[in-house]
Amino acid sequence: MTSKTRIIKELKECSPTNGSGVHAEPNNSSDVFNLTGVITGGTETPYEGGVWYIEIKIPEGYPFEPPKMRFITKIWHPNISSVTGAICLDILKDQWSPALTIKTALLSLQALLCAAEPDDPQDAVVAKMYKEDPDLFAKTAKEWTAKHADPNVNEGKIRNLMEMGFEREAVEKVLKEVGWEEDKAVEKLLGGM
Amino acid sequence: MPTTKRDRGSPVPTSSTKPTSDSSSSTKKPLKVKVKSFHGIARWSWGTPADDVCGICQSPFEGCAPGVKFPGDDCPVVWGACKHAYHLACISQWLAGGKNSCPICRADWNFADDS
Repeated sequence: MTSKTRIIKELKECSPTNGSGVHAEPNNSSDVFNLTGVITGGTETPYEGGVWYIEIKIPEGYPFEPPKMRFITKIWHPNISSVTGAICLDILKDQWSPALTIKTALLSLQALLCAAEPDDPQDAVVAKMYKEDPDLFAKTAKEWTAKHADPNVNEGKIRNLMEMGFEREAVEKVLKEVGWEEDKAVEKLLGGM
Repeated sequence: MPTTKRDRGSPVPTSSTKPTSDSSSSTKKPLKVKVKSFHGIARWSWGTPADDVCGICQSPFEGCAPGVKFPGDDCPVVWGACKHAYHLACISQWLAGGKNSCPICRADWNFADDS
């Protein structure tokens, strides 16, 4: 039995204006089980200035089961798949507790960006680089932040696609879905017509 | 300290002496009040801090856990040995999932002796 009441309460404390650097909103106002979370990168990390979108699916058994979270925006991090965005974080798996919330889970993700755990990797290639060549890792992570998670760059992508004649709302939605990759977004926008 | 209070308050009795003497005749009459009915209001709580909510369903302890129709006896609150409280319905569902820890402090879950 899912506690819809609890999710609605949680969404109130996850509003974009809550001032904690993380927030979450339903993709569709009538469906509180499919959300998009947003986290920002910490200062003095390779993720500084970046904004990442997180796909959040609330399972039937919530809050007794953890919310399912995945990075939509691409990120170079040992505990996050650079391909699928899958996250390796104990509290989203066996260490979940019903006393945790969507907000605390997002804050944990934000903390994970500041403190990677390369010995429990999700992406072996990234973790290997993190351990063997920290400078190259930091450089790559920074490049990925600039390429995929920079809000200004992403605003430019929105503009580009709008120039092709698509509505802003549709463009933003599709870009978020495909992790801000313009080519994929165009394909999806054209495919959906 | 009490003397200061009396000093400050001294002008009040002097100024009020006049009205009391005037109304003395009326105050001697017993007030005729007949209580026809009254609404008794009682307040109860589980003894958890005010405004505190169940750590699982995030609803007030005096309210209902999801799936329970009525508050109170139908939806009791229980404490763990670690002193963390939950609705019985909520913690039972968590424990039924095979976990045996307090959701808040992760200590092994044992019901407190008095709950």
